[in-house]
Amino acid sequence: MTIDIAAATVEQILANQKGLIAIGAGLAVGLTGLGSAIAEKDIGSAAVGAFTEKEELFGKGLIMTVIPETIVIFGFVIAIMLIL
Amino acid sequence: MLKPKQMSKVLLTGHKDVLEPTIETLHDLHALHVEEYVEEDYFHIGTPLPGADEGSKKLLKLRSIASFLGIKKPYHKPINARQLSSELEEKLETLGGVVSGKLRRKSQIEADLKDVQTRMHEVEAFSGIPVNFDLCGGYETLHIFAGTVKKGVDVEAGLKRVTDEYQFVTGNTGVFILAVPVKHRDSVADLLAEYEFGEVKIPAISGTPDDLISELKSRQDSLTKDIESLSSEIDSVKAEYEDFILASEELLSIETQKKEAPLVFATSEHAFVIDGWIPDDEFETLRSRVEEATGNRVHVTKVEEPVDEASVPIEYDNPKIVKPMEAVMNLYARPRYNEIDPTAFVFIAFPLFYGLILGDIGYALILLAISLYGRSKLHGEGWNSLFTVLIYCNIVTLFFGILYGEFLGFPLAGLHGHPGLIPGWETISLFEGLGGEHITYPIHRTHLVTTLLVATLLIGVIHINVGLIAGFRNVLVKHGMKAAILEKIAWIVLQVGIFLLLFGMMGVVMSMVPGAVVFALAVIMLVAGEGGTAIMELPSVLSNVLSYSRLLAVGLSSIGIATAVNIMAGMMFDSGGLFIVVAAIIFILGHALNTALSIIAPGLHALRLQYVEFFTKFYEGGGRIYNPFGYNRIYTEE
Repeated sequence: MTIDIAAATVEQILANQKGLIAIGAGLAVGLTGLGSAIAEKDIGSAAVGAFTEKEELFGKGLIMTVIPETIVIFGFVIAIMLIL
Repeated sequence: MLKPKQMSKVLLTGHKDVLEPTIETLHDLHALHVEEYVEEDYFHIGTPLPGADEGSKKLLKLRSIASFLGIKKPYHKPINARQLSSELEEKLETLGGVVSGKLRRKSQIEADLKDVQTRMHEVEAFSGIPVNFDLCGGYETLHIFAGTVKKGVDVEAGLKRVTDEYQFVTGNTGVFILAVPVKHRDSVADLLAEYEFGEVKIPAISGTPDDLISELKSRQDSLTKDIESLSSEIDSVKAEYEDFILASEELLSIETQKKEAPLVFATSEHAFVIDGWIPDDEFETLRSRVEEATGNRVHVTKVEEPVDEASVPIEYDNPKIVKPMEAVMNLYARPRYNEIDPTAFVFIAFPLFYGLILGDIGYALILLAISLYGRSKLHGEGWNSLFTVLIYCNIVTLFFGILYGEFLGFPLAGLHGHPGLIPGWETISLFEGLGGEHITYPIHRTHLVTTLLVATLLIGVIHINVGLIAGFRNVLVKHGMKAAILEKIAWIVLQVGIFLLLFGMMGVVMSMVPGAVVFALAVIMLVAGEGGTAIMELPSVLSNVLSYSRLLAVGLSSIGIATAVNIMAGMMFDSGGLFIVVAAIIFILGHALNTALSIIAPGLHALRLQYVEFFTKFYEGGGRIYNPFGYNRIYTEE
């Protein structure tokens, strides 16, 4: 669907901008989530391997695994800032 | 609380004559963590007390009987240990006789049954063929083929082209027996090969297939009956001896543990030395009881010299209500001896974060019911702690659920003309929050994102600073005031700097200079304290605090799932008719899924905030487990 800018009313343009913001917010959360996931999959599998060998490493393994989650939290904050 | 139990290092020295009463006393006391002796020049490790061998043999026998009978570990009324030990030998002998007989019979019957089943399998292929197997072999002039060909082939029509001299019989399964003169063997074999002939072995027994099948069937039935009666016999033996087996297993374990104890003691030709740790408050009891039991022939001393922190076994010292949280601590690491034990902090923060995230009356009630039921059904220390922690968490969740006014994702109170679940309950606007939002009761999380985001970040700042203060205390004890200020207080100063800078930007403070100065001061302190790498860690202040925004984010996603389920179910329900059933299924399955997620997601995220954001500020962990010499009796009593 294309929008004829000249014919668009102010409401349409505003609605369109709102849509773009929503897409941007979605990308911010989605892509950062993907980034976290890619990082966590490697760390997670290594951590599981480590604590099957030595159970005491569970806590440390969990920490290492969730460190990249910060990425998606940043994405979330950016998304909220975009929407508000 | 806040510190592990104070421990004393203890040495017990005495003559070998009194080794046995000493071991008895220590075992009863169940308080001394014995250090294993590593053999050096003069002292050797001790030898087990007489009778240790026999005890372990009995234990082995008992355990194999228990595994044959399939005895699990329920809770029973304890049996008197003294009485048990007097009749143990005799009873174990009888039990052994009974069980070994049954064991032999069982394996015999099972072997027979297997045999019958193989035969059955062989014979069944020929079912319906009215020929005695005796007649299917041993001829000089005849050759017998037995087997199958591919479907839809008329074997007899083909045969007629080769010869008329043949006997062909077939049964119910498609298997046939074919007899031809030896002279035609090769040509018939060629013909059959064309038809994809698959040979079936003729069983080497006498009788017609159908007779044999019914015979084998009745044999199989009788064997199955035998097994059934045997298992009911085994069950009755199990029922009769279960208490005895569990109790005597415990008794023998205790005996063996006592008898083998000298293996970790240091002994010379005539004397022994036991080295261990005991909680401070139990030292006097230990001394008086050992001296009493041995007529003052064992010397008990407290070693006063300073000890290595890492060598002290750690016993938590927490009030009973906090105890279940120790499981959460153990998952990470036990505290070290001179460290703050953060179990009490976790006791407050973990359920609080969990409740903040979940905050739903419906899920709280479901999970409370599950965990109360689980706690009454599943025993064992691990389960007990898990369910108790879950109960704590969901009590807090219930509180926040009432605060948020949420029930399974439905708002309880109406807002802006949308009615809530409870008719007539309208949201009351209390005062203005941030970003033009209104703080209301109940709090609608989805309408208060900015305010709640800032609130969660503030919770983060508080939590992290509690961690930094605990860290200050830990470093102070270990490395002195200077290091403590440079390593921990500097981070607090850094936060003050950041806040001043923020206020400067927002115009609350006149200029940004004070903020910049404080910030620079903090950076200098950090570099002095932790070296240049500290600069790389500066952003962690920001990322750590932002991390607490998950308290809002994970909660919103949980509401999202619940709302989606409710809307889908609602749409189905409105369609009426059969769709009402579908709506019910969607509603139940959806909320079951979200309930499962409600344990995992808030639990893991609340846990992570403890482990990653909080513990890294002060906690090292890695203490040894305090494992006192003794036994927790379950099935026996003295």
